[in-house]
Amino acid sequence: MLAQTLIITVIIIAAYALAKWRGLSVELSLLVATVAGALGGSVFRTPKIGEIPRHLVEGSFTYLDVILVFFTATLFITIVQESGGVNFAVRQAVIRFSRLRFLSLFLLMIIVLIPGALTGAGSVSLLVVGAPVALALKGLGVPEKKIPAILFILAGLAAAAPPVNIWAMVLCAGTAIPYVGFELPLGLPVIILGTLTIFILGGRRAEAGDLEAFLEKTRCHPAMNWFRLLTPFAVFFALVLAYRLWPFSFPVLGLPLEFLLASLAALALSPVRLNLVKVASATVSKLLPLLAIMVIVGMLQQVMAASGVKGLISYSVLIIPLGLLFCLLPLIIPASEGVLTYGGAAIIGIPLVWYLNSLGYHATVVISGLSLLWPLGDGLPPTALIGRLSLMVSGYEGKYWHFLRQTWVPWLIITAAGMLMIIFSGRLRFLVIG
Amino acid sequence: MKTAGTGFRLAAALAVIIILITGGRPLREHRQFPVEIVCGPGVTEIRPLSHYLPALKDTPADTPVFILRGTETGGAALIMGNTHANEPEGMLAVAIMIENALVEKGTLYLIPFFNRSASLNTRPGEGYPLYFSLLTPWGQKKFRLGNRDASPLDQWPDPDVYIHYPEKQMLSYLDIRNTNRTWPGRRNGLPMEQVTFAAMELLRRERVDMAIDLHGAETMFPVTNCIVAPEKSMRIATLASLTVKSMEGFENHLESSPEKFRGLSHREIGDYSDTLPFLLEAPIPFLDQPTGAKTEQLFLDGRDDFLLSLAGQKKLFVPYDQSGWPLDRRVGQHLSVTLEIIRQFSRKTPERAVVIRNVPRYSEIVTKGTGSYFHHPASAEKDRVVKL
Repeated sequence: MLAQTLIITVIIIAAYALAKWRGLSVELSLLVATVAGALGGSVFRTPKIGEIPRHLVEGSFTYLDVILVFFTATLFITIVQESGGVNFAVRQAVIRFSRLRFLSLFLLMIIVLIPGALTGAGSVSLLVVGAPVALALKGLGVPEKKIPAILFILAGLAAAAPPVNIWAMVLCAGTAIPYVGFELPLGLPVIILGTLTIFILGGRRAEAGDLEAFLEKTRCHPAMNWFRLLTPFAVFFALVLAYRLWPFSFPVLGLPLEFLLASLAALALSPVRLNLVKVASATVSKLLPLLAIMVIVGMLQQVMAASGVKGLISYSVLIIPLGLLFCLLPLIIPASEGVLTYGGAAIIGIPLVWYLNSLGYHATVVISGLSLLWPLGDGLPPTALIGRLSLMVSGYEGKYWHFLRQTWVPWLIITAAGMLMIIFSGRLRFLVIG
Repeated sequence: MKTAGTGFRLAAALAVIIILITGGRPLREHRQFPVEIVCGPGVTEIRPLSHYLPALKDTPADTPVFILRGTETGGAALIMGNTHANEPEGMLAVAIMIENALVEKGTLYLIPFFNRSASLNTRPGEGYPLYFSLLTPWGQKKFRLGNRDASPLDQWPDPDVYIHYPEKQMLSYLDIRNTNRTWPGRRNGLPMEQVTFAAMELLRRERVDMAIDLHGAETMFPVTNCIVAPEKSMRIATLASLTVKSMEGFENHLESSPEKFRGLSHREIGDYSDTLPFLLEAPIPFLDQPTGAKTEQLFLDGRDDFLLSLAGQKKLFVPYDQSGWPLDRRVGQHLSVTLEIIRQFSRKTPERAVVIRNVPRYSEIVTKGTGSYFHHPASAEKDRVVKL
């Protein structure tokens, strides 16, 4: 069984490498690897050849709910952005606090954290506020090469922040642990690590900040004001809160519909006339690589499960002795995210949490610690979703590895924080309230 | 004028359409595939669960309740399978009871497909087979393999966080479609809350003494191969556990129902009715993450080299050797422990006794095979065959 599974693993890796070598995009290369893995597996009847189309179609639905949230959240923020709301907010933050540079940096960090915290997707943070925040950082004199690094780390922390943390939710559902009590174990490290990140990477003013250029590039409609900007957010928060306050009388709308209703409010209050169909089409175009990757990673995961490769990955992690496992987790967890995005949480995370829980580690704190490590993998190939988006929205034209190298200090600090939370989870149980 | 790029795009679009049709059709057929159960001589009545909550009528969440009334009055027991439809050992155990059991005293209420919608669902990303088949004396009998949660086709959208009724505990958004997180249910709630509410109504109106919820769990999950019971059921559970160990030679340890984890049958049934709840977990290696390919064979025999290696490192919560953990053992355990719980309750409370015969126990199932106890639907009277 091991030999058979290893052969299929090699086929998947080789097909991916070959497709990349032939110049295909990451999405198409993953698709090629998926089909090759399925065909390779069919030699051993895992899966049977006739079942391959079913596995591909079924797997493509794995992240449908996440895809819907991505799309509607991005549509909402795109409308806010097109109406000039994002530029308005960032300008206000910089103008009002330009003399208090550290406060400006702190506020920009909060602005990046909010969309990701609400949706569980760091990509939404970047797509929504990434570009203007990058301009604001430049305006505040942050070196250009550090800007995508700041965005990447903050977007990852945004995805880990409460109330919506998809890794934690996947783990809770899979390990029969209630998604309760994560506010402090997730919220506290995210705020501390976010603050450290923005001050370490952006604290030193390396060049004279070109505030004039920033203000020029972030012009917005004169009629834009706080009311127009904040009301759509208030609608969204009101809908989220209404279910929490009256869960048994308020209808379950779901995040996609809540974002759509907030989008309609943003559209109605926009000082600029916007065409919803055009904005929606542009949103789909902008998100297409991300959505394609979510669909294909679902298919890949299905093929890997049907062929045993998924089990082999999980098994390989579990046979590592505990001490060595703790040393390797900082590599394994981000690497699993780089290959499988959220799939890594299910494949490695679920048995890992059970295993650690059986040894007396506190599951909620362990999940929180792991949740800090997973987002780092979003900068790693082959998917490198958030890393690529960070470069895109910041307009950085240097090499990918040059950008990634800038992240090493906060990367190490976040890794240390996550690992300490896992190892000392028992002593940190006081953070879990509820 | 067509360009090479257009040609490629057309070919790619055609390939996608072909894959969608050839890949989508088996999924549609799975949702429509009927599992046939032959009502044995003990079945005296079949009622839909909607009898206890009419709002469920004509919805995919409605499910039949098979009633086996004894000649002598006594107590009552409810037994549920497929609360999680990817753990079908419970469904098979209940189906064997429907096809074979004879009740001498008291009443049995049997629900083989408790979360029927979940049994019509599949599990994207997990690569499960759509069906499994059992060898019977008359040929292969085929069953749907479902999902843990109800189908989003039947209940959607999910909230960002599921808030349990009535305790207001926050749970994962997926669990709003999980009928082992929605107890005690809500009359005007979402479909899965209505399913558990209807079951609570059944327990209350029919004065049911015991409710037994049959599940399966990973070998790496600490709560496996066990009986989960709250304080009020613990005495009976202990006696059942000790008896099967001494008389039938298999372990089935006890787990106490946590008070702070809401929505589970073993917690809420006890808290919101007079019924004694029990939840049985049989180990299903197929559900573990570190296994080889997710094949029908793995589901049936529970044999896996990766798990065997992990067992050697003491990372599993059940004894595990070359023989794996076959389906027959899992179904046999469920039947023996269920019968033992009912027997121990009946001994302790003779006036509310439930006396059942003609249900195979562990050793018989392991020797003859689960399939031996299913009757051929083609040979049965048509009105005694129920399609689920």
